[in-house]
Amino acid sequence: MSGAALLEVAVGGIAIGCVYSLLALGYSMIIRASGIIHFAQGEVMMIGSMCGLSALWLAPALHPALVLLAGMAAGGVLAGAMELLVYRTLRRRRVPLMNIITATVGLSILLMNAARLGWGSEPLRYPDLFSGAVEIGQLRISPQLLWIAGTGFAIMIALQLFLSKTRPGLAMQAIAQDPDAAQLIGINLSRSMAGTFAVAGAMAGAAGVMLGSLFFSFFEMGFITGLKAFVAATLGGLGSIGGAMLGGILFGLIETFGAVFVSSAYKDAIGMLLLIAILLVLPQGLAGLRKRGR
Amino acid sequence: MRWGTPVTLLAAALLPSALPDAFLLHLMTSVAIAAILALGLQFLLGVSGQLSLGQAAFYGVGAYGSALMTGAGLPFAAAVPLAAVFAGLSSLVLIPVTRLRGPYLAVATLGFSIIAYLVIKNEEWLTGGSLGLMGISRPALFGERLRDPAHVYWLCAALAALVYLGLRRLADSRFGRAAHAIRQDEDAARASGLRVTLIKSQCFVISAAVSGLAGALFAHHIRYLGPADFSFWKSVEVLIMVVIGGVGSAAGAILGAAVVVLLPEWLRAVGDYRLLVFGGAVVGLMLFGSGGLAGLPGALRRRPEARP
Amino acid sequence: MTPLLEARGIARRFGGLVALDAVDMQVAPGTVHGLIGPNGAGKTTFLNVIAGAFPPSGGSLRLEGGDITALAGDARARLGIRRTFQNLKLFPEMTALHNAAIGLHADGRAGVLSALLRLPAQRREEREIMARAAEALDFVGLAGQAGRLAGTLAYGHRRLLEIARAFAPRPKLLLLDEPAAGLNPTEAVALTALIARIREAGTTVILVEHHMDVVMTVCDRVTVLNYGKHLSTGTPAGIQADPRVIEAYLGQDALAEALAC
Repeated sequence: MSGAALLEVAVGGIAIGCVYSLLALGYSMIIRASGIIHFAQGEVMMIGSMCGLSALWLAPALHPALVLLAGMAAGGVLAGAMELLVYRTLRRRRVPLMNIITATVGLSILLMNAARLGWGSEPLRYPDLFSGAVEIGQLRISPQLLWIAGTGFAIMIALQLFLSKTRPGLAMQAIAQDPDAAQLIGINLSRSMAGTFAVAGAMAGAAGVMLGSLFFSFFEMGFITGLKAFVAATLGGLGSIGGAMLGGILFGLIETFGAVFVSSAYKDAIGMLLLIAILLVLPQGLAGLRKRGR
Repeated sequence: MRWGTPVTLLAAALLPSALPDAFLLHLMTSVAIAAILALGLQFLLGVSGQLSLGQAAFYGVGAYGSALMTGAGLPFAAAVPLAAVFAGLSSLVLIPVTRLRGPYLAVATLGFSIIAYLVIKNEEWLTGGSLGLMGISRPALFGERLRDPAHVYWLCAALAALVYLGLRRLADSRFGRAAHAIRQDEDAARASGLRVTLIKSQCFVISAAVSGLAGALFAHHIRYLGPADFSFWKSVEVLIMVVIGGVGSAAGAILGAAVVVLLPEWLRAVGDYRLLVFGGAVVGLMLFGSGGLAGLPGALRRRPEARP
Repeated sequence: MTPLLEARGIARRFGGLVALDAVDMQVAPGTVHGLIGPNGAGKTTFLNVIAGAFPPSGGSLRLEGGDITALAGDARARLGIRRTFQNLKLFPEMTALHNAAIGLHADGRAGVLSALLRLPAQRREEREIMARAAEALDFVGLAGQAGRLAGTLAYGHRRLLEIARAFAPRPKLLLLDEPAAGLNPTEAVALTALIARIREAGTTVILVEHHMDVVMTVCDRVTVLNYGKHLSTGTPAGIQADPRVIEAYLGQDALAEALAC
């Protein structure tokens, strides 16, 4: 395989990796703040994807950035509402964590079937948001892929800035590290928790628009993608923001290269095998590496 | 509660005479098989505190194992237990991961189950791939094929009862106490001389073997196997059974299995909305019944001063 | 006479921090050996190294002359080294009786198969375990609490239950990590008597404790650690008179603590 073709595969891997990263970030933020494995994260992504598509149906000339925003808004509102209506109540009633996690699975089934009723059970094609191809010498790279990778990185950088520089972002960091102390210094726990879910949902919504524009939107699309992103988040070390980003991109690359060089039928298995292998060496994921080094 | 087990057993035994409806018996057989599957995870999660999202893999090993063995001429009565043992042994692959905790263990088992699913889907020479395996033999006892749905039901219900009693005995023994202690505090368990990894692994193997038994029965009950029955959803479904039944309650796991199998059937009347309602019901039960179904009577009886 | 436990040159570093620096200690069989020192002296770390919670960075440990340095904590527990924890580690969802029965787990043999079949041998063993567990509860004075969940016991009772679990198998060596912490004076006096009875029953005790009156009353020998180093070993009276020990305690705000006792 030529170097140019390899690079094309790599760009594809990074683009799909960005989708995983954005979703994995949501898993990590939520598990860090609340301990919940948010299994409905993939469905939030799917709803974001559907809403972005609906926005395009309503206004076919809509700028891609606005499509992305529509998806993010839908994901953010949905995840925030799930926290306010379901998880917060469950936490207040001090039910075991396993029950909350089951509720996320219930919501996941609920959303999937709501989407099937709302948008039908056929895969829906996104209109091409970008056309043509970028040519650098011999290299032809689909603008979709570049768009996805670029936007993905931009959103992740924006999230980092939000978490480290703004008041609400810092409050979210604080409740994740020590909820009791955070409340003592006057941080509103409920609001920050809802904010965490909303931000995680917006990331998922963005991932949904990206993934939809790459392939198509489908009521079941969130399921396997969500799982893979969760694996990516675990790979990076659950609860670690940087780990989630890295884990997602690594997972995307491994999966894409594995599909090309090993077996496309077992493309999902390659990532899982690697995951199990990594966990055996580093039981806390890649983030454990840094702790160990200290 | 003392009368709960005998009364339930009697009711389960009399069901075919009370309701001689083939479809209903078919469903109740499915409930019994699902109950075995749920009891397997309940033991792992409720007693030893390990969350597995890979039960579908062991269920699949049991199902395909028994189907292939009977296909090769082995009698049903030998193939089913062998398939269960084989499923238990297959979980030995995962023994290294039992030292992982919480979500990390869950995701490793999940990875294993996805690999198993892909093997089922892709290895056509063995599993029939996406087309599946057809014409699996009916259950048979003493050389007699069980053609009457009531007989198949009795067989599966009796095995479910055996698994229930066996796992209860196990939970209430030196071994079960140790597993229970490890769930609560691994450090203290180690300091008491418990071989933590060994005991956790044993629980894993037992749970996998029980899931394999359920899979083997499923194969001969439905008599057709396709990859769809062994996807990650199956693992999630089992978890839902255990949690809505109430983690830590074996009777709850059976109840949870009945709900997960029967509710979507009852909801057929609402057609396309049935899974929507099912998802809503799971969320609702989590919101309003804190200990799962097993905790509901207590939740209804609960007086404010009764809680510390 | 061979010491029951012999620690030679035990070191333990956490990253760059030296918690223990070449500590030697010999514990004679049948004694209560106190381990004291100002805060941060490394007492609990030393106890953890003896129990096998983590390996030492250097040095060796011998139990009755046999090298146990390489053994993991559970293996040492099976050899007869049992411990309690400074911040109580019980099994809260199990009854007091079953908590004590876990302490006897290593003495049993029944496995999965015999539990399923409930063979006579297994039932006999269960009865024996439960009888011995009840005896251990009785020994520490918790006979009336056998059926209660450990998580619902009063604080002082939980401390005693932890001792019952550790003492139930009649270990060779019992490591007590601040057993008097949080107890009222009456309970502390009862604890002192209990430790003496444990010694009479033939179990050697290493006692880490801040309550000086407990240490001075019940200990046969006392080892003082300071900044991770061995400072002095002797009889309680000798230790109290040792100028180095007094200086070590004076050097810290532990003076207030010592005076409070």
